[in-house]
Amino acid sequence: MKSNMDESVFISTPDHVSLEFELAGPGSRFSAYVIDFIFNVLLIVVIFLVVFLTGGLFTLRSLVTSSQGSSSWSASWILAFLVLVIFLINWGYYIFFEGLWQGSTPGKKRVGIRVIRQDGLPIGWREAALRNLVRAADMLPPPCYLLGGLVMYFDPLGRRLGDMVAGTYVVVEKFALAEQGASGAAWATRVEQGRSRQALTLARGMISAQQIGLIEQFLARGRELSQERRALLVWQIAEPLLSMLGEDRDSLARSADRTERCEQILLQVLDLAQSREPHVAVARKTPQPSSLF
Amino acid sequence: MQDAEEKLDQWMRFYRSVQVLLRAGPRALRRLSAAELTRLIDDYQGLTADLARARSFGAARQTVDQLNRIAVAGHNLLYGQIRLREAGATTRWFGRFARAVRAHVWAVALSATMLFGSAVVSFVAIQLDPHLGYDLLDESFLDFDPASKENLHNIPSLARPVISSLIISNNIQVTLLAFGFGLTAGLGTSLLLIFNGIHLGSVAGWMTLHGKQRALWGWIMPHGGTELLAICLAGAAGYLLASAIIAPGQVRRSTALKRVGTDALTIELGCMVMLVIAGFIEGFVSPSQIDYASRIGVLVMSLALWAIYLLSAGRDRTPLVSSDP
Repeated sequence: MKSNMDESVFISTPDHVSLEFELAGPGSRFSAYVIDFIFNVLLIVVIFLVVFLTGGLFTLRSLVTSSQGSSSWSASWILAFLVLVIFLINWGYYIFFEGLWQGSTPGKKRVGIRVIRQDGLPIGWREAALRNLVRAADMLPPPCYLLGGLVMYFDPLGRRLGDMVAGTYVVVEKFALAEQGASGAAWATRVEQGRSRQALTLARGMISAQQIGLIEQFLARGRELSQERRALLVWQIAEPLLSMLGEDRDSLARSADRTERCEQILLQVLDLAQSREPHVAVARKTPQPSSLF
Repeated sequence: MQDAEEKLDQWMRFYRSVQVLLRAGPRALRRLSAAELTRLIDDYQGLTADLARARSFGAARQTVDQLNRIAVAGHNLLYGQIRLREAGATTRWFGRFARAVRAHVWAVALSATMLFGSAVVSFVAIQLDPHLGYDLLDESFLDFDPASKENLHNIPSLARPVISSLIISNNIQVTLLAFGFGLTAGLGTSLLLIFNGIHLGSVAGWMTLHGKQRALWGWIMPHGGTELLAICLAGAAGYLLASAIIAPGQVRRSTALKRVGTDALTIELGCMVMLVIAGFIEGFVSPSQIDYASRIGVLVMSLALWAIYLLSAGRDRTPLVSSDP
């Protein structure tokens, strides 16, 4: 069953920058809900324990000082306090955390998602209150979340009703910046200087811009792949280039260190492409598979 | 490649300073010097330019992701601290509830019709056919003796704090459901209002039939005005949400919902405050020993105060955005 939810949402800022946010799917949202539910129950249990332990002592002490009336009065007020606190936790748990932690709750934090406004900014108390006070409707029939789930399923932005009323999205929060910034920075510098990815013309043929892009992507991400997949990919990428570079395809194909040598060759191609002076790009539009990953 | 290192350094420097400023709280930007601020904005613009280039010239996915992340952080810092003044924000919080209610009188009227209409119908029905009482009423109400001047100690004074907080949380729950169930195209809100109306009307009808009406009204009056008005207004907040689903107009339903959201929330929050007041009256004043006349006095006075508030508070300002048709 494929939901018609988009993978991400692009938000345009006033200065026409388009920011991309990866939308959180129903799976991660549900696991966050389960964690929050457990946390919610634990909170109530802890408050009960604390109040009954301290309240019990309190009542005992006032019994000793033989003021019967005041002890039952305090018990009555403690009970009244408990009723209100439990009500507040039930209805206010999400509002409190999302308002205070800018769209995150203990469960959401754990799963790595958060709530944002439609303009990409973190939510405030107004949004937190709106999306959670109407939660009862999303939960229908309680506690199935059938209505909210259906609305989420049909909405391309994966919003439940509460998100629509508050004008919010739930997005994936990426924690750490990827470590490899150097190749991206080198790339950005080249583009800035007018040398974007261009076809590389060699004596015996031409390596297209798309092929160079593919090499860049592979060298940036290849180490994350499994050994077999990496060997297969590097061969697929390098093989068409070998004759142009004056390598012997057949002997390389049989050699034991094929993968390493192919990676060396790809690095050389990239160096070559990056050192070339800008020139007229030829055949930029050749259709190529844009990505193998 | 020297340039690339500089570039990377520039990105990361921007990212780190943004992190520091975001952690420093909402007034962090104001403490920066003009030069620091200019540099921050320059770095942000340089970074977003790189992001745009990376997207349109097809950089590696990680590069785009990384730039995007830094840009999001920068955007949150630079724009998150600007508080755009909405048109309604010129009214102080005190008048907003009244304004929101006045902007949606139709919803209040509809809600009142559901609540009081069903109450009147069930009241009359029980007068005409007393046997209906056994169907409509909860068993505990059949022999119910409301507190009155003659029957004072139904609620011992000791239990009053508990009763009060139970009543407050129960009533607020009812209004929250009436509000939230507006999202079922008003169906849930209507059911809730009608059930509550029938309950009210049939209890009143039953007591009247058995000659206990004076005690009942004496009991209900002090808090009833505030309480029923609050439930009626919460129903209106629910119908406001429902209107965005049933008749969104020229925009998408999600957009229409967002437009009415703030007004509906304002009304609901106002209702909660009303119910806290009503709960204290119900827990402490209604079961007290004041006589019938003062009970009427409390009712009239509370209704008059609410009428004055709802009709006049927050009048002298510009209209709410969402009140425009």
